[in-house]
Amino acid sequence: MAYKTAIEIRDAVASGEATAVEVVTETLARIKDRDEKIGAFLETFDEEALEAAKRIDEMKAAGESLPRLAGVPVAVKDNMLVKGHIASACSGILAEHVAAYDATVVTRLREAGAVIIGRTNMDDAAMGSSTETSYWQKTKNPWDVTRVPGGSSGGPAAAVASGMVPLSLGSDTGGSVRQPASLCGVVGMKPTYGKVSRYGLIAMASSLDQIGPFATTVEDATLLLEVIEGADPMDATSVDADVMTHEGLVGASFEGLRVGVPKEYFIDGMDPAVEKAVREAIDLMKENGAEIVDISIPLTEYALPAYYIIQPAEASSNVARYDGIRYGKRAEGLPLLDSYRKARGEGFGTEVKRRIMLGTYILSAGYYDAFYKKSLAVRSALMDEMKSTFKDVDVIVGPTSPSVAWPLGEKFDDPIAMYLADIFTCPANITGNPGISVPCGMSDGLPIGLQFIGGHFKDAKILQAAAAYQSLTDWHTKEPGTK
Amino acid sequence: MSNIEFDVDKVAALARMDLTDKEREEFSKQLPSIMAYVSKLSEVDTSNVDPKAYIIEQENVFRADEVTDCDPDVRKSIITAFPNQKGGALEVPGIFL
Repeated sequence: MAYKTAIEIRDAVASGEATAVEVVTETLARIKDRDEKIGAFLETFDEEALEAAKRIDEMKAAGESLPRLAGVPVAVKDNMLVKGHIASACSGILAEHVAAYDATVVTRLREAGAVIIGRTNMDDAAMGSSTETSYWQKTKNPWDVTRVPGGSSGGPAAAVASGMVPLSLGSDTGGSVRQPASLCGVVGMKPTYGKVSRYGLIAMASSLDQIGPFATTVEDATLLLEVIEGADPMDATSVDADVMTHEGLVGASFEGLRVGVPKEYFIDGMDPAVEKAVREAIDLMKENGAEIVDISIPLTEYALPAYYIIQPAEASSNVARYDGIRYGKRAEGLPLLDSYRKARGEGFGTEVKRRIMLGTYILSAGYYDAFYKKSLAVRSALMDEMKSTFKDVDVIVGPTSPSVAWPLGEKFDDPIAMYLADIFTCPANITGNPGISVPCGMSDGLPIGLQFIGGHFKDAKILQAAAAYQSLTDWHTKEPGTK
Repeated sequence: MSNIEFDVDKVAALARMDLTDKEREEFSKQLPSIMAYVSKLSEVDTSNVDPKAYIIEQENVFRADEVTDCDPDVRKSIITAFPNQKGGALEVPGIFL
């Protein structure tokens, strides 16, 4: 039996088939039962969640009409502020940081009747691709607990994949929603840059960060996006554009859709099982009316090196605020400079320090033009290529990750091998395009993800393509047996 | 950009961040090789490209310059979250000790 979807839960609460309190009570019990093995959650907000559920049940009893996500439990990544709770971004330096206000996405979830059930694990300050750099704990892949869930949003991905919650929110800077979605066998989306407000999201790389949904179905992911998207006066980069509803996905098909297959998304060294599953998915689209177009986006191969300039440069600037003066543990009794060095030296994990070092070097005198400015030029050139690509095709398709989930610890000491895990996801961050990963196969019991990428603010197009694919296959209904 | 000089101690000082001995040793090897990898960008001819800082075309975003109140509850939480406070004010160490 497939997990209950958010839409099913919402409809059950609305029809009176279940109360919100029952839903939340069951969810909390399920988390208690399953999370011991998985380690997706850092904390559940039991009391508040039950209070919120009670309010939904009271609204229902009073005959009021219920909002779009009434009674649906949602988990958030530990870098999104939930007032009164710790928001640490799984970094030692923020281990005791209590959020003073709600992130805009959290406010919008509450307004839509969703129940914020708890906060979930991630890589230290969202830097990592396996959730192994978390200050708190390692999260295991629900399909095989000896393997990583992907990252940096490994907690929210695993929470949905193991059926603990129907929905969760992650953030995606270089693939941190889509890559763990792929490795955990769920749907994960990065909307177009600017579609979702980042107010109350602990900033990592500001020209790349975007919040996105995890779900088991494309309809559920769309419903969550509907709730959180749209301009917010507190985030000047957020805009109103192309509002999509999950109802609009009914009858989605490939008929007449022009699907581009960029050769740069099929490279030497990728897992042959991944390539085979993705090629089969493309054949299926073709059989069902899609027009498959072989294309080339030559600068794609430079997206990852550009990413590893832009991301550390921006991240090192963003985390400069964590100095032990405003946040975190202050190193007492030392001259100011030494107190900074001690607080930062002790508060950040090794991967974060590695990227602060890279970013500081890249932005230091004499190197700015050679690295940062050069990366922005390559980014602009790649954006031009993407723009002309989407004049010719509606969506492009390829793998989300070059491999399935790997064993815990495997790439931990080899930063470049770890960085290569984002090779197919980081181009969409570099250029701001929307991308979505949906399950498209299995290899030795581990899920494979298919990625659709769309033009700027053509989020609806990739959701429709993903929904059409899902309507032809049943990969998204498979559940992990948890080895 | 083929010969990357990476003075780990100098960069750590710029970043205001202590490194452990293990990190110092690891970074001395890893960081030059990561920089060598990203230097691959020099292969791309960008002489005719205007480097953009923003990825979504947006004009300047303005708002009225009006003072708005901060929720007293939020204000209190922010002050409480600060490592040291005195009488509702934020306490910071002196520059010279």
